[in-house]
Amino acid sequence: MKFADFICSEAILAQLDAQDKESTIREMVQALCRAGKVENEEFESIVKAILKREELGSTGIGRGVAVPHTKHPSVNRLVGTVAVSPQGVDFASLDGEPVHLFFLLISPPDRPGDHLRALENISRQLRDDTFCRFLKQSKSVEDIKTVLMEADNNQFGS
Amino acid sequence: MAAVLTEPYGTATLLLVLGALIACSALLSRHIDRLGVPIVLLFLVLGMLGGSEAAGGITFADYHAAVRVGTIYLVLILLDGGMNAPWQAVRHFIAPAAALATAGVVLTAGFIAVFSRLLGLPWTEALLLGAVVSSTDAAAVLAVLRGGRLRLQPSVGTTLEVESCINDPMAVILTVTMIDVATSTTALRWSLLATVPLQLAVGATVGALLGYVGLHLVRKVYLPTVGLYPALTLAIAFLSFGAATLLEGSGLMSVYFTAIVLGNSPLPYRSGLIRVHESLAWLSQIALFLMLGLLVFPSKLPAVAGTGLAIALFLAFVARPLAVVLCLLPFRFSLREILYMSWIGLRGAVPIILGAFPVIAQVPGAERVFNIVFFIVVVSTLLPGATIRQVTRWLRLAVPESPAPSAILEINSAHPLNAEIASFLIDPAASVCDVLLSEIGLPPDASVMLVVRGNDLIAPRGRTRLLAGDHAYVFFRAADRVYVQLLFGRRESN
Repeated sequence: MKFADFICSEAILAQLDAQDKESTIREMVQALCRAGKVENEEFESIVKAILKREELGSTGIGRGVAVPHTKHPSVNRLVGTVAVSPQGVDFASLDGEPVHLFFLLISPPDRPGDHLRALENISRQLRDDTFCRFLKQSKSVEDIKTVLMEADNNQFGS
Repeated sequence: MAAVLTEPYGTATLLLVLGALIACSALLSRHIDRLGVPIVLLFLVLGMLGGSEAAGGITFADYHAAVRVGTIYLVLILLDGGMNAPWQAVRHFIAPAAALATAGVVLTAGFIAVFSRLLGLPWTEALLLGAVVSSTDAAAVLAVLRGGRLRLQPSVGTTLEVESCINDPMAVILTVTMIDVATSTTALRWSLLATVPLQLAVGATVGALLGYVGLHLVRKVYLPTVGLYPALTLAIAFLSFGAATLLEGSGLMSVYFTAIVLGNSPLPYRSGLIRVHESLAWLSQIALFLMLGLLVFPSKLPAVAGTGLAIALFLAFVARPLAVVLCLLPFRFSLREILYMSWIGLRGAVPIILGAFPVIAQVPGAERVFNIVFFIVVVSTLLPGATIRQVTRWLRLAVPESPAPSAILEINSAHPLNAEIASFLIDPAASVCDVLLSEIGLPPDASVMLVVRGNDLIAPRGRTRLLAGDHAYVFFRAADRVYVQLLFGRRESN
């Protein structure tokens, strides 16, 4: 599964304002609401579901990256967005370091395959230091879109 | 009673009484815990019942032996405590814990001394009392927080645990200084207080160093039998205490840091090793408090009951909360967390052992201080210990408890491995919940080995669906750990 299949370009945030875990998730879900991928009335319910998943263990997987995600019945297909925080966010990540790069995923409960393949794709790409570095250094939405497109075209190592 | 019998009957009688006491301690612990009474108090009371003034008839008034044996038990308890402490959490909360373990101890000692003086105790006894009861106790804290199967938020759980494991140097130094004040045989060593940071630094450095040396040793040597591995880790802990203390550092802190290094690294026969040390720690808890109970003579308690009770209540409601608030103000704790840590100021073995110091030094009034200390320990263990569940619930500081799997699958090996098996409790919020195993894109070298559903053991197949409440045992290489945790959530600790 490619990034283009589930990342909503209109919801990408190149300059995340949030400074803690909950406001990061809120800001990213809000971006998906604005892009019309998520219903406004479902906003609180989705944020709550993502935070619930965080209680199982932070999705801050180390090296400055986090992948908050949830399954939610209000979406009928997998949707996701990317955000970059230049200042870093305390996300209680596994290595204790601040997180600069976020991938947020929401998928319908009846299509777990897509959800799992997206997580697999993100994890595989994130193993590539160049991919992570390029994304973290992105200054604009266009930069992020370019890096994601290059990843989809297998232009990184993994 | 035991002393007048000839051998082997004397030893046999002693073992009979000790066996009965230890068996009662172990068997009653579950029921006592349900009643909300901390089990260390049960051991203490049983120890008193085993003494020469009660049914057991064991005569024990050797304060020297109590200090020495008690210290060995504390080493065993701290070894287990450190091996089970996740370094990430310890690192995060070591600064507030250090503030409580230094400034907090001095403040508590000061408040108690002034209050005791107001109650009419001479200054020498008041100062001694403040010093002796100034630190919280690792044995009691670990027994209540871990033994009670409480799962606390790390902000309070780890801070309280680390505080109790590193606050002994300050209390020991205060006690030694106050003994100097009381006896005045040597020049006052107030300058000792300045050595506290040095003691802590030496303790931590020697502890970490011996931890890494010991870790290298445990992982490199091949021992002929599995049973020798815990003997080696035990030896490393003893070496750690001895070396740090001889280098003027804190021995107990050194053991704690050695244990943290060992416990947070891959070890041969790891799970078995951890369980042996857990058993040793429990046996030490029982033996330590039984011994301290034997050291107390019930007939001497009524005379100090009023004073003891008053000081204990002052400690619980005024001295500890005030010290905690003042120490934690610079840190980012919520009011709920500060309130909680103010209340859970458990005293236990360390104050009783420190209470023996002035008796050994033959300080005038030392026995009275020792008996008051006993009162303070009982009350300040009983009050927070008995209310800890309600207070935790009330202040919403508990982490939901996960049910344990009915079976455990693990890899045991003498050598460090490049793969591991971990169990995950499947939560509805996890990505893999309600998903067929064939749909989970596990890495090529990873596999779900076993699914435990209630008492059923299920051999995983592609068509097996993971349900909420299942325990899934997953085999994976170290490089895939992060991805597996992303899919399954937090791993369970067995």
